[in-house]
Amino acid sequence: MASRYAFSIDLDRCIGCQACVVACRTGNEVASGDAYITVSEEIRRKDNGFWGSFAHKRCFHCTEAPCVEVCPTGTLTKVNGLTAVDMAKCSACGYCTQACPFHIPHVVDNHVSKCVGCLDQVQAGEEPWCARTCPSNAIRFGEREVILAEAKAKVAKLRERYPNAQVYGETQLGGLGLLMVLLEAPGVYGLPEAPQSSATIQTWKTLVKPASAGLTALAAGVMGLAFVFARRQHAKEHAEVHTAAPVEAAVVETPAQTEENHD
Amino acid sequence: MTDVKPGMVQRYKLAQRVVHWLGVGSFLILLLSGLALLVPQLAFLAAGGLSRVFHRIAAFGFMLMPIVYVAIVPHDALELLKESFTYTLKDLKWFKHMPAYVLGSTKGLPPAGRINPGQKIHHAMTFVMFVTVAGSGLALWFGQSALGPEGLAIVLSVHDLSMLGLTVLMIGHMYFTFLYGALPAMTTGFVTEDYARMEHAEWYESLSPQTVAMTESDDQTAA
Ligand code: HEM
Ligand code: SF4
Ligand code: SF4
Ligand code: SF4
Repeated sequence: MASRYAFSIDLDRCIGCQACVVACRTGNEVASGDAYITVSEEIRRKDNGFWGSFAHKRCFHCTEAPCVEVCPTGTLTKVNGLTAVDMAKCSACGYCTQACPFHIPHVVDNHVSKCVGCLDQVQAGEEPWCARTCPSNAIRFGEREVILAEAKAKVAKLRERYPNAQVYGETQLGGLGLLMVLLEAPGVYGLPEAPQSSATIQTWKTLVKPASAGLTALAAGVMGLAFVFARRQHAKEHAEVHTAAPVEAAVVETPAQTEENHD
Repeated sequence: MTDVKPGMVQRYKLAQRVVHWLGVGSFLILLLSGLALLVPQLAFLAAGGLSRVFHRIAAFGFMLMPIVYVAIVPHDALELLKESFTYTLKDLKWFKHMPAYVLGSTKGLPPAGRINPGQKIHHAMTFVMFVTVAGSGLALWFGQSALGPEGLAIVLSVHDLSMLGLTVLMIGHMYFTFLYGALPAMTTGFVTEDYARMEHAEWYESLSPQTVAMTESDDQTAA
């Protein structure tokens, strides 16, 4: 296996045929009504006119993936540059749906739904279903360096016709695992120029969450130790009080032989 | 008629005890199912949405607790709320003795009312954190799709810190209960007169002789 995989999608080649969508659904046995990826035709406003393009909505396999950061169950992890999904672990908490800057994951039938990178196929030496099926070779998959070089070469050629052509995802979020060959600026496709992991999420993840769990355990430990000491102290005092001044009520033996009470 | 309980006074009515244990049960389920998302070693409890279902059922019971309390004993609920947020100079004296009290000593402890100042603070903080835990929990439950990354992190932080606070309070609460052997107050509802005189002197004084006599022989009114 390669160390760091990546996909690329060349929007100049995509013909919007939906073959990848169908291949992904069939290959991964995705429940009907659900899909890991979508391809839609979008009419966008450009200069003073209109302009159509295909929009691929699918996981970018971010290197520093916010979804992996928030996932509390270990369902989402990074494996060889891809954001892998271990469906059986998912709690359907939905944190990933809010953390992803691209609004990719969704929760369906009590588990997360997003591109799984076809890791089973890749580990078996095959290409992912979508890349394997694309009839116009718009979806590529392989070693990230190779895929990136290929995408850059394509952009260099495209620049003659499309001066704003560029590779999207070389550096964002530590480098995306899905590189998009765009004909126009990212904004035209509704893609954020600089997607970011939220600083508040970092604070929660690295500070609040471990502190909450840690301090709870610490408090339990400290109080457990103090209890042993306090209980002895109390027994001593109680014995003193009752030998010094036996109260009349102490004569009455009750099943609830409460020495002193506290609610 | 229930057993006569010589030398005992009633501290909690049946309704109050039922509400208390409803709280205990739902809190423990909430804690365990919540920790499934906080402690990686417990993540297996969350697989397939299991802890999620339990967390929601228990949350329902937990939030029902104050509603039931107000519905069946509105007077007691109001009194508890008022007492928890009323502090006097006398309480300050009590707090001075608190460290020794924590370590098992009641020597020189100023006389306390029905609820001692430590319990008042405990209740007050519980009220506040009940609101923050339920508020953030409801936001996660029903408003998640509107949170976005910032909102999610803030709401989770509030929820986590409320969990920390409430759990520390609960451990402290159990600490005093078992240190001073106070469990019967919440099981049978009765405490010894001996105890009442010693630890809640002012409360004991305020009980009319009839009340003491009556509760000694009449648990049914409570039920
Ligand atoms: C009062 C009503 C409560 C409601 C409505 C509520 C609701 C929620 C919801 C919706 C979640 C998100 C995870 C999921 O969907 O499974 C959650 C997480 C959690 N809850 Fe609650 N909860 C409540 C009370 C509590 C209490 C009393 C505790 C513990 C003492 C607690 C501890 C936790 C913890 C530790 C998490 C995980 C948070 C994280 O991932 O950092 N919850 N709760
Ligand atoms: S890599 Fe696999 S799971 Fe991801 S879009 Fe392609 S076919 Fe679907
Ligand atoms: S695009 Fe979204 S779902 Fe995919 S790795 Fe990045 S954050 Fe996760
Ligand atoms: S919904 Fe599943 S994959 Fe997403 S953060 Fe929660 S446990 Fe992880």
